[in-house]
Amino acid sequence: MRLRRRLLGAAAAAALAWPLAAGAQPIPVGHLMDNSGATSDVGVPYGQGVADAFAWVNRTRSGVNGRQINVLGFDYGYQAPRAVSQYQAWSRDRVVAIQGWGTADTEALVRFVTRDHVPYVSGSYSAALTDAAGKSGRQGVEAAPYNFFYGPSYSDALRAMLQWAAEDWKAKGRPGRPKYVHMGANHPYPNSPKAAGEALARELGFEVLPAIVFALTPGDYTAQCLTLKNQGANYAYLGNTAGSNISVLRACQTAGVEVQFLGNVWGMDENAMKAAGTAANGVVFPVRTAAVWGQEAPGMTSVQAISRISDQSGTAYRPVHYLAGICSAMLMVEAMETAAANGGQVTGERIRDGFYARKDWVPRGFEGVCAPSNFTPDDHRGQLSVALYRARVAGDTSQGSVAELMRAGTMRLEPVATITLQRKPEWLGW
Amino acid sequence: MTAMTPAGDYRTSYREDMTIFPTRNSRRALWLGIGLLCLAPLALGRYELGLLINIGFLGIAALGLNILVGFTGQISIGHAAFFGFGAFASAWLHERWHIPVALCIPLAGLMTAVVGLVFGAPAARLKGLYLAIATLAAQFILEDFFARAQWFTGGVAGSITEPFALFGWVADREETYFYVVLAWTILTYLAAANLMRTRDGRALVAVRDHYLSAEMMGINLAYYRTLSFGIASFYAGLGGALYAHYLLFVSVEAFNILFSIQFLGMIIIGGLGSVMGSLMGAAFMVLLPELVQAGADALAGGAVDRTLKLGANISFLREMVIGAAIILFLIFEPDGLARRWRLIKAYWKLYPYSH
Amino acid sequence: MDWPLLLQLTLNGLIVGALYGVVAMSFVLIYKASQVVNFAQGEFLLVGAWVCWWLLTEWQLPFWAGFLVTLAFMTLFGVILQVVVLRPLIGEPVISVIMATIGLGIFFQALMKWIFGVFAKPFPPIFSADQVNVFGLQVQTVYLLSLGISLLIMAGFAWFFTVSKHGLAMRATAFDQQVAQSLGVSVPKVFAMSWAISAAVSAVAGVVVGVVNGVSSALSFYGIKVFPAVILGGLDSIIGAVLGGLIVGVLENWAQYLDAEWLNWGNMYTVAPFYALILILLIKPYGLFGTRNIERV
Repeated sequence: MRLRRRLLGAAAAAALAWPLAAGAQPIPVGHLMDNSGATSDVGVPYGQGVADAFAWVNRTRSGVNGRQINVLGFDYGYQAPRAVSQYQAWSRDRVVAIQGWGTADTEALVRFVTRDHVPYVSGSYSAALTDAAGKSGRQGVEAAPYNFFYGPSYSDALRAMLQWAAEDWKAKGRPGRPKYVHMGANHPYPNSPKAAGEALARELGFEVLPAIVFALTPGDYTAQCLTLKNQGANYAYLGNTAGSNISVLRACQTAGVEVQFLGNVWGMDENAMKAAGTAANGVVFPVRTAAVWGQEAPGMTSVQAISRISDQSGTAYRPVHYLAGICSAMLMVEAMETAAANGGQVTGERIRDGFYARKDWVPRGFEGVCAPSNFTPDDHRGQLSVALYRARVAGDTSQGSVAELMRAGTMRLEPVATITLQRKPEWLGW
Repeated sequence: MTAMTPAGDYRTSYREDMTIFPTRNSRRALWLGIGLLCLAPLALGRYELGLLINIGFLGIAALGLNILVGFTGQISIGHAAFFGFGAFASAWLHERWHIPVALCIPLAGLMTAVVGLVFGAPAARLKGLYLAIATLAAQFILEDFFARAQWFTGGVAGSITEPFALFGWVADREETYFYVVLAWTILTYLAAANLMRTRDGRALVAVRDHYLSAEMMGINLAYYRTLSFGIASFYAGLGGALYAHYLLFVSVEAFNILFSIQFLGMIIIGGLGSVMGSLMGAAFMVLLPELVQAGADALAGGAVDRTLKLGANISFLREMVIGAAIILFLIFEPDGLARRWRLIKAYWKLYPYSH
Repeated sequence: MDWPLLLQLTLNGLIVGALYGVVAMSFVLIYKASQVVNFAQGEFLLVGAWVCWWLLTEWQLPFWAGFLVTLAFMTLFGVILQVVVLRPLIGEPVISVIMATIGLGIFFQALMKWIFGVFAKPFPPIFSADQVNVFGLQVQTVYLLSLGISLLIMAGFAWFFTVSKHGLAMRATAFDQQVAQSLGVSVPKVFAMSWAISAAVSAVAGVVVGVVNGVSSALSFYGIKVFPAVILGGLDSIIGAVLGGLIVGVLENWAQYLDAEWLNWGNMYTVAPFYALILILLIKPYGLFGTRNIERV
């Protein structure tokens, strides 16, 4: 009984003293993840990267200006209504910034985060989110001053790949016009770059074929592959995440389709290469970071330290999405540091302004890993330089882990080209 | 559906015989309950109020399904599609025709009722299993329609709506919207309880119990089955509209087959053919994931958590618990929570005699 | 009219349709024997595929051994499900039984995702020659194997139901439970056997699809696709189920052809079977081969 009274007394004293304790209130940050839904195959490593990066900042840098970052994680299973519902709960809890994920929910929340002044760094790279001031004049695109993302937008990445494809066609010396087709689910995320891609393809002289639809879930896509083969396409853009792209690649390999597949940033990674095997050989896709796991770069030590947060042994192979998650989180951390500098309040508006504070921005400690980003109040297209890689799979990938296969050289990521797009104002927002 | 009455039946007028509340105490209990609920926003936090609001509009839709399944004996595995139609309709009415939200909600219910009648007319010819499969197909077809009808639903991107506003009073927070949902819930539940004591309600029950005899008595089977679909759809549309103006965002992804199954789970767990059971079932379905989350949080960090990796797999655990709850209720409590509640009341009233 | 594409799609439809037919056969088996509509048929495929994958990758068993162990496991699985979940529900209204199987489906789908994760996992290579050429269409060897197995299963079913004692007992139970029971047929055993066979046969289909497309939660969708197939063929006809499956497979691919050539909607492949289902229910609800239910007062 006495012990209990003592404990109660100690607790009361601590509760009274706590607000006085150095004002070290944690900074609440929301974190939407997809660990169980249609895009979980890429959502899991990205979400892990974000979470580990925040934990590492809390541990090694004592958070932001001495204040720990309180990350409120929520797995919304890629269902936009659940994300919106969680956002409304968070906005009442005064969350100052949010690490988001999917296109559908990010676009749905644009109005809300603009109204509530909450910076939102998404895993969606939809070009509609880059029109910060609403000046693009595009139909259906609203001003999104609080939306940011790390990496080239889907549309810009597709434009870069199309430019590469046009040069590739000429370099191969093939006669006539190349044929281009957009493949993806009927969903905001794959649909995002469709119009931009088809418009640029026409400009570059491609013959644009009618789009082919396949769902975001794995399945049997033999019929779609037969159609693809019949149309005689030369370049096909895969708009879905790796999980369903694998099914298409395998089905098309069986059907004997010969086409150059162009992936999106979420469409191909090391896990997908292992799952698809030789069907993934030759797929060209953009990589958002300047280096991949296992390569040498000054920033790799920080990345490996972050990886140890969730993998004590240090043996896990981290796919490209993990590194992109780290860079996304670090952008937010440095923006918060800018906001908190000189005793400033960490509010939504100040964090947003923190995004504009640097040119060719690489978070410190991650040189050579995170590519430079540039944000301006009117234009949130952070990166216009797209690094294209080709997936190379030389043999059977069913035995051995991803790490072993990469070490043995059975799977390789071969750099192809880096296409730098012009910052054209007419390309903003779509 | 019986309630506890004093020993013996003693009624002296038709009015007494037909009343919804057979005892004074049951009426008083209801007034007390409503009074407590009205005071709830003062005592409960936003999160709990949010749960109650969910129970409210899901309870309305579940009641509609219960009228269709429990009282008329039909089956529908496509209820979520009608719920979604109501949500989209309300959003569309407000955005396209600028009708005030307060009117959009009942109008959306009416629109959904019309759609329900359209589906109900051919469905009236099917029975049992075939009807179940037809409604399953209707669910997928309507989902596809929602995804493609850009003009109505905003396509796959969904549509954003405005909060409820009445003469300048905007109900955009849990504390205020709670009253809107409470009002509609009381209205719809009283309406359903009243329906069951009218001629049409008794006809529906007759159709369920023995449709051949009902037909011989002169009850038009096709008419009542279609009517039942219409009423169920009205309730579903109403629930959907309330959902739309709570979340302020409607997207087709929410109205999938799992949602339809959850509605069926609600009425089975609550009790088929019981008005109060629909609300209890809805409450169960809303509170079950919270319980699972609380359980996972309690075990977090412990040995169980590490071996099973509860934290990462919480959404799977939630689904498994829903599936297991449905099965366990069907095996052990097939008449649902309403019957269990009645048994508990009987135990109290009749102790020490057996019930 | 693009005849080569149409022919290829038709062939693809027949091959995939044979698989639908196998799953539909298992579904009809349960329905015929125990009057239960099994909404969890897709989960049988899923569980069978995952178990086989796990045996092959974790325990490094050769394919034939893993396959046989999977069959044995699924037989046991079906029996246990029937005894634990379905037997207490004998005599309950059809909505309760449907909900119980739906609940089972939800439970096992989530369980599989929990145990094996959400990524699609490929099977280790099984055949030396991955594909063969059939009429100009590259077909996976395993699909031909599945065709062969489907024919074997159909022949097995035919023998079982016409010649073997247990099969005749099952037919008798399906026709009239009480009379069968009075003649000494153990009705609970017949129910359990029907579930066991259905689970094992579905597992075969699951393994085949898993080998081709990788094992993932998409396998459960086969359990939904089975409904157009059995409605078309008739809920209580095994031959009808097979034909229904083939027709649905071809229908899907023709819808895809229509979509690709003229409509460009993009979703006809997924939705067309359900439109067909509604149509059949309105015009000919008992399907091609189902027995007409005549109601007597």
